[in-house]
Amino acid sequence: MSATQPRTNPFIPRREALQRLALLVGGTLSLPVQAALRGEVIHATANRFSAEQQTLIADLADVIIPTTDTPGAKAAGVGDFIEYVIGHCSAASQQEAFQQGLKQTDILSRSTFGKSFSALTQPQQTEIVTQLTQQQKPFFLTLRELTIVGYFTSETGATKALDYVSIPGRFQGDIPMKAGQKTWAV
Amino acid sequence: MLLTIDAKKEMTYDAIVIGSGVSGGWAAKELTEKGLRVLMLERGRPLEHITGYEDALKGPWQMPETSRLGDLAPKYPQAPQDSTLAKSAQSYWMPGADTSYRQDKPFRWLRPGIVGGKSIMWGRQSYRFSDIDFEANAREGVGVDWPIRYKDIAPWYSYVEKIAGISGEKLGLPQLPDSEFLPPMDMFLVEKEVRKRIEKNFPGRIMTIGRTANLSEAKKIQLDNGRSSCQYRNQCIRGCPYGGYFSTQSCTLPPAVKTGRLTLRPNSVVTEIMHDAQKQRATGVRVVDSETLEHREYFAKVIFVCASAMASTALLMNSVSDRYPNGMGNDSGQLGHNLMDHHFRIGASGVWEGGEDRYFYGRRANGIYIPRYRNIGTDKRDYLRGFGYQGGGGRQGWQRSVAELSFGASLKEELTHPGLWTMGLIGFGEQLPEYRNRMYLDKTQLDKWGMPTVAFDAEIGENERKMRKDMLNDAQEMLESAGISNVKGYDQGSVVGGAVHEMGTARMGRDPKTSVLNAHNQIHTVKNVFVPDGACMTSSGCVNPSLTYMALSARAADFAVRELKARRL
Repeated sequence: MSATQPRTNPFIPRREALQRLALLVGGTLSLPVQAALRGEVIHATANRFSAEQQTLIADLADVIIPTTDTPGAKAAGVGDFIEYVIGHCSAASQQEAFQQGLKQTDILSRSTFGKSFSALTQPQQTEIVTQLTQQQKPFFLTLRELTIVGYFTSETGATKALDYVSIPGRFQGDIPMKAGQKTWAV
Repeated sequence: MLLTIDAKKEMTYDAIVIGSGVSGGWAAKELTEKGLRVLMLERGRPLEHITGYEDALKGPWQMPETSRLGDLAPKYPQAPQDSTLAKSAQSYWMPGADTSYRQDKPFRWLRPGIVGGKSIMWGRQSYRFSDIDFEANAREGVGVDWPIRYKDIAPWYSYVEKIAGISGEKLGLPQLPDSEFLPPMDMFLVEKEVRKRIEKNFPGRIMTIGRTANLSEAKKIQLDNGRSSCQYRNQCIRGCPYGGYFSTQSCTLPPAVKTGRLTLRPNSVVTEIMHDAQKQRATGVRVVDSETLEHREYFAKVIFVCASAMASTALLMNSVSDRYPNGMGNDSGQLGHNLMDHHFRIGASGVWEGGEDRYFYGRRANGIYIPRYRNIGTDKRDYLRGFGYQGGGGRQGWQRSVAELSFGASLKEELTHPGLWTMGLIGFGEQLPEYRNRMYLDKTQLDKWGMPTVAFDAEIGENERKMRKDMLNDAQEMLESAGISNVKGYDQGSVVGGAVHEMGTARMGRDPKTSVLNAHNQIHTVKNVFVPDGACMTSSGCVNPSLTYMALSARAADFAVRELKARRL
């Protein structure tokens, strides 16, 4: 996904629903919101991530939740989740702080190992993230928090790393715990 | 509006029901089943049972990012900030519902935008009021006396419970009468442990499983209505394709439709109830189509106002005439006053360092309940009334906080497996009716349908503040004495409307000089208008009120039909 490539808003009610919405709020919807509600692709004008940044976000998330016996954050598409939350749900100050965090990560990677974060080996990436926990703690905590939520609510995280049952059909509040029991996804 | 006789006939029904939520659904069901031709008006959009619940079976990854954020949403200001809105089912609420009213004091007014109203998104906790509640105002000289007692409503509780289906445990408590129960749901291990210890350490206090309008076991009456047992998915707020919990769509609408006597008209904003001063009766309603803005009038012998407490009151206040310049039926001046809610967001929680080798299966759409014990029997406090606790146990999942700087394979491994058992209590306290707590209309600001802006001016008072000290201390004390560790009390403050139990603004009473409605939810001076939703409440009790609205609605409908047959309406 390039920096200017539009992304589809996940809220896509039917056209008639939009008409209803617009009527209910008396035409006070902002134009981008109206576009989004019509299901049109919208530009993340408030916060755009370059292709390099998108790769960086996905790679950082993958260090926080790596592939083990189950796929990690990158394979689960957590980068897209983080981009959406920062780009669409955050205040301008949060977006700016996140952008700064990405910049600092890049600077740190290049000054320590002479390469971009994404070009580093796994141990080198781990070393950089360890440094982030000290030098860029607020950024790290945001990244970590969104990686955890994005991962465990992803299809991969919920159904492979965790145990997901769509229709349990019954409830038992006290049963023996199986060896290696995974957490329920929801 | 000039109409030919034929045209007016087409717009005329036996009864009009305004609103399709908990209360309107019951009114429509009862009135149609008793032979009346009913027009049900709903301002929201249509929502079909089963097929309309588009998110019902989705996994978390199929939900919008703003839902996936869950408890993190408050950190991200562009995500829905109200937890009920943030979780899911955003399309069921009226867009901009959190901003479309005025707050002289902080107030939360969550408004639905669908057929079924809040019966789709409600919390389903279902408890009977008792005579301790119905007698309290008279005994203490607070507000006005309820014009009914428990014996008047008890048969109607039974009636609606058998149809709706309420799961729970019989306790035989005077302050919390038993319902007609379906089997109780199971408790988590930690809840069973805490229950034993609370009941041992605090004689008179009881912890039971929540009483909920979920079908723990669908009976014939529900199966015949196309419903099936709860599947323990705990996604009720998205609408249940199994009809596993009570909603208008699952329970009251199908039998009303089956009679062939129901006309349901969504997208219909009722702006006014029309009045004939000579006959001292309402004649019908004015409606604006929410989409086309077309105006219509409908006529009926009986009108049931079930638009939700605040909206029903706003409608009465907006129904002015020479006879009622301050709102229909408002000779007492009480319309819009005595606004109540339950105050909550206070309690305690902690973890249990035991039962590591035990787990659970399924998602119980229910919690525990500790019935009111303060100011019951010999217990006397420095405040009136009392509170109950909701809450419950569970076992920590991936959402738990772990060492905050950890990352990598060890973090993933840790969060993939269950943590400790947890236990939490949340107090729900009674709020006294006070004249100064009110809503009113700002007629200088009309919305596009011509309805004035509703303004709220209400807050909790001294009695509630005193009660909250107990609500906080007792929760901590009970959990600590029950062997829960790391108990943390919290008081997040309570905004009126926050519990979505707003009520009381057209109260029932014995005297037309001090109340709006009589013992049958009938406007004292406009006998063919009935208000059986939350607006009617004379006091708030401390239990979730929807079951009482169901019973009062069915009871009022029965009375209305009998009065019609006796030609008194």
